[in-house]
Amino acid sequence: MSFVSTIRVIKFAFQNFVRNSWMTVATVSVLVLTLVSLNMLVAMNVLGKVALSAVRSKIDVSVHFRPDVDDNRVQTVKIFLLSLPEVKDVTYLSQADALTQFNQTYHADAGIIEALGEVGQNPFGATLIISAHNLEDYPKIMAALDDPLYADVIEAKDFDDRQAMIARVEAVSKKLELFALAVSAAFGFIALLIVLNTIRVSIFARKEEIAIMRLVGASSGFIRMPFYVEAVLWSVVALAVCAMIVLPAFMFSQPYLSDFFGTDSVDLLGFYAANAALIVGAEFGATLLMSCITTKMATAKYLKV
Amino acid sequence: MIRFKNVSKTYPPDVIGLQNVNVHIRPGEFVSIVGQSGTGKTTFAKMLIAEERPSKGQIVVGGWDISAIKPSEVPLLRRQIGVVFQDFKLLPRKTVYENVAFALEVCGASAKKITSVVPQALKIVGLTGKADRYPRQMSGGEQQRVVIARSLIHRPKIIVADEPTGNLDSLNTREIIDLLKKINEFGTTVVLVTHNRDVVNELRRRVITIDRGMIVSDQEEGRYLL
Repeated sequence: MSFVSTIRVIKFAFQNFVRNSWMTVATVSVLVLTLVSLNMLVAMNVLGKVALSAVRSKIDVSVHFRPDVDDNRVQTVKIFLLSLPEVKDVTYLSQADALTQFNQTYHADAGIIEALGEVGQNPFGATLIISAHNLEDYPKIMAALDDPLYADVIEAKDFDDRQAMIARVEAVSKKLELFALAVSAAFGFIALLIVLNTIRVSIFARKEEIAIMRLVGASSGFIRMPFYVEAVLWSVVALAVCAMIVLPAFMFSQPYLSDFFGTDSVDLLGFYAANAALIVGAEFGATLLMSCITTKMATAKYLKV
Repeated sequence: MIRFKNVSKTYPPDVIGLQNVNVHIRPGEFVSIVGQSGTGKTTFAKMLIAEERPSKGQIVVGGWDISAIKPSEVPLLRRQIGVVFQDFKLLPRKTVYENVAFALEVCGASAKKITSVVPQALKIVGLTGKADRYPRQMSGGEQQRVVIARSLIHRPKIIVADEPTGNLDSLNTREIIDLLKKINEFGTTVVLVTHNRDVVNELRRRVITIDRGMIVSDQEEGRYLL
């Protein structure tokens, strides 16, 4: 196609874009909804990872010793633990510290504090709080503590509850992602139908013009191309509108998300800035591909040239 | 220039459009194709511009066998044949000038060519002073003249006019036929499809009569027979 024809194709596409303004608004709106839901999917993915990382960073294992075990034994266990390559840190909590911590935790519950008073002496043993380099290392550390040398002095280990918590966060995160994916797919399907209908209406509205084009010898490509260019225009405008919705929304929600997760690592805007080319490219590519496939279907079905 | 060899057209399931038609139209001829409604006149015209394909036989236009023309070649054929229809087919939101220029625009002509050729075409049809008017501001005869100007824009060797006077009064009919005669005098072959008895009888040119898809008469200086 010559340069002059290309310019005219673009001109005709712009004319259609403006003249069928209501159809354009409907088409762009549904494409924007699809893109926004896709961005929600991306955001949920990022937030899910942040949530998991926040939970993981807070995970440790507490090893409670029997009250009659003396500090030297506890320190021996601590040294043993620190010698393990999987262990990042071990914090020692003495019997007195354990009692203080308990009192602080349950100071509002008079019944518990009273019951503790009834005991008459400190019922808590010392505690070692272990942090591992990786979550997967905890079972190995626990297994090391099952050695009879140490097992006899240990009263309890609390790790299983945290594992359940991680599993729950992962499950919720996956369910949310699945939900967002389903919403995106639904909007995508609706967008497909709307685009199809818009082109059908556009072809119908330009029936006379197309008939004249055919009569006077316009090529099939020249007649079809404006519909494709229009699809490109829809994609560009939808992407721009989506950016105008999503970016301010992320900017607004940033402090609330940081508060909620209790970490400063929630940086959706930063994530988008770092992956801008990939995200914009993928979303534009997907929208364009969808619009063009639908245009191809619509012109093949309704545009006989 | 135009040759139909044993051309038949059957529409599903078994409606006959044309039946074993053999015609040879020489360059520069003015030929009227006449017949009652539904006899195959329009099918004949549509086949000339590859709007319809023959079920059987061969159609040759200017040495080009268009019986099995490729879809990509159809636009090239249509740039060589001007077409005029009864229902004008003008774009209401474009001026006379824009309607005529549109035929060049969509075929990729340069702006320079458009500004040079369009006024010439409007001059031939006598609409120079009305280039800025819209179709709704013009009479039926004037609108048909715009269509003729548009059909001339590619300087075709052949003009196919399918009932060009069907929507016109007698005065406008005469003007349009005179215009077609003038174009024919420049050397363009004119194929006029009509069922207007007076037009055919006044023309005193070649008349091909079609009845029930078959050519029943072909006279060099003919009259409307049916």
